[in-house]
Amino acid sequence: MRNQKLKRQLCVIAMGGVATLLIAGCASAGDAEPVASRDLGTPVAGVVPDGVFDGVTLTYAASGGIFQDGQRDAAWDPFAKISGATFLQDAFDAGKLKAMVDSKNVSWDITNATQFDTARGCGTLYEEYDYSQVDISKVPEGTITDKCMVPNILYGLVVAYNTDAFGDNPPTSAADFFDTKKFPGKRTVSQSPYVDPQTVEFALAADGKDLSDVNVADIDLAFDKYRGLGDDVIGWTSGAQAQQQLESGEAAMGLVWSGRGYGAAAAGAPVAPMWDEWMIMVDSTAIPKGVKDPQAAFAAVNFYLGAEQQARMTELTSYGPVNIDAKPKVDATLETWLTTEHLATGHAPNIDFWVENYDALSEAWAGWVTGS
Amino acid sequence: MGYRELTGMSDLSPIRELNKLSAAGGNTTRPTREPRNWRPFLLLIPAFIIVSFFFLAPLIDVFIRSITDPSLGIQNYVWLFTTPTNMVVAGRTFGTSFLVTIVCLLIAYPYAYLMTIVSDRTRNMLQLFIMLPLWTSILVRTLAWMVLLQDTGPINGLLESVFGIGPLPLIRSTFGVALGMTQVLLPFMVLPLYSALAKIDKRLLPAAANLGARPVTAFFTVYLPLSRPGIFAGSVTVFILGLGFYIIPALLGSSKEIMMSALMYQQISGFLMWGHGTALGIFMLTTTIVVLALVGRASKGTSLFAGRTK
Repeated sequence: MRNQKLKRQLCVIAMGGVATLLIAGCASAGDAEPVASRDLGTPVAGVVPDGVFDGVTLTYAASGGIFQDGQRDAAWDPFAKISGATFLQDAFDAGKLKAMVDSKNVSWDITNATQFDTARGCGTLYEEYDYSQVDISKVPEGTITDKCMVPNILYGLVVAYNTDAFGDNPPTSAADFFDTKKFPGKRTVSQSPYVDPQTVEFALAADGKDLSDVNVADIDLAFDKYRGLGDDVIGWTSGAQAQQQLESGEAAMGLVWSGRGYGAAAAGAPVAPMWDEWMIMVDSTAIPKGVKDPQAAFAAVNFYLGAEQQARMTELTSYGPVNIDAKPKVDATLETWLTTEHLATGHAPNIDFWVENYDALSEAWAGWVTGS
Repeated sequence: MGYRELTGMSDLSPIRELNKLSAAGGNTTRPTREPRNWRPFLLLIPAFIIVSFFFLAPLIDVFIRSITDPSLGIQNYVWLFTTPTNMVVAGRTFGTSFLVTIVCLLIAYPYAYLMTIVSDRTRNMLQLFIMLPLWTSILVRTLAWMVLLQDTGPINGLLESVFGIGPLPLIRSTFGVALGMTQVLLPFMVLPLYSALAKIDKRLLPAAANLGARPVTAFFTVYLPLSRPGIFAGSVTVFILGLGFYIIPALLGSSKEIMMSALMYQQISGFLMWGHGTALGIFMLTTTIVVLALVGRASKGTSLFAGRTK
């Protein structure tokens, strides 16, 4: 009898525990209350009224390293200080973003994504901008490529080469990157999980192809060109690895993000950029779909776009400013890596084509990064 | 059961010991059948809740996604089997994991045997050596290998300056990946092997010699068959853990050594093709279960008592 009673009691306790868990789970997944809008006046890039976002918490998700640290120090933390908001930093992952949006529980307010990401995910993964809340008058021309973004940084995929090996006779074209007779040594190329259309375009540019007139069959030709390098091509799966391969001399040449080349040079490695032919890249500052406080997110982005913030960001990261009035004070090393000085020789990506043919590109990319 | 196990160990009759090993389960030891008491099962409730919430539910979700994302149907599985890359990488994943399992076994067996014959003090030292790497971050260890193995690293530097050869493809090769994985997985082979070898009665070997067996024969007909449970436990653990490796193939291998987890990550986080990613996951899980079932059958067929029968 006693045993029966005890058994029943234990059962009740266990059931209660399960019910509590379920209720807690449902409650946290519920929709956030809509936030009342504040009167912020006409936006001016780089300006936010004192104390308007007291008690608001914003989270920025990006790809880490000196890049995210620099943006934090140049814009997000100063914004927090003036507006009264709290700014948190997190690591971006596109899969995580999709999970948040699907479950309607978005804990990021601003993210850094590629311009292909925002073009493809505009309206589904990313919120459309209300450009009346963000001052975009000083943004470089042509850098707003869809309705869900303002530019985050202006950078590039550049050939970084070892000056000990090629200092006297440096490479001067995309074709030179593939000329292992004239420029012997290993090349490192992106094999990261994230599809990178510019890597494909670079190989096509080396063949003298007009990038505004590419077709799907060209994608395989581009990868075959890299495969044709045989043992001389090694891959990088993260920016940090690309930098490490350049610093150690493991790669005599690399097709890398400009900031990573700068990182290697700033660490003292004999590495220089080839500006004669390079691929222009623009990243998006994007706002996830279903963000809790869109007004605060827009205001933070508006602050980020200020000339002073952008100048500081460039000084800290080497990535090009996205405000035409920004006047960063840079040292000699950083100056050689500044993309904004060389826009005339850069190839702009054919965004429409890549957004339209993304599936074909990702299929070919999957084969490229898995060695088949 | 405990009592019998203890007496069994000190018993001179190896046959009884072996009978016990092959009779999985302990109901022969229970003298009388008590009426079933359900109360102990209540203790399982927390574990059951955790397993169903954090394991079963996500697994079911993964399966449902694999047949509904982006629309209901088997299109993800059609994609899986018709895309050559997937099959190449799957084969490579199982192959690499198998290779690492064999290498681990060859290294761990003598090591575990050594642990059974040395003094307590030395055994503790040996155990410490095998456990120590487990306390270090896998990423740190892999980066250390990267520095050592790269073309411009100290090993290739030494080979070049002293022997005038190289650089050898130590990194960005199957060798590099297998080396890194073996180093990480070795403890998972040594520990179950040691616990199996420690249970074997050492007097069986002199007994075999007494009956005229040479050391090699004694090892293969008496010792090795008795150590089989440890070999299976260690191999299965290492093999399954090996299937999920991501960071080591990414850092010590080239694109030609990339394994399944990287392919899944790419589909899920890189391409946002969750249907593809989850189908790959279900495929790996199913294939692994099938492989394990086959191994389980194979291990059951060989009688532990008879050893090698020809």
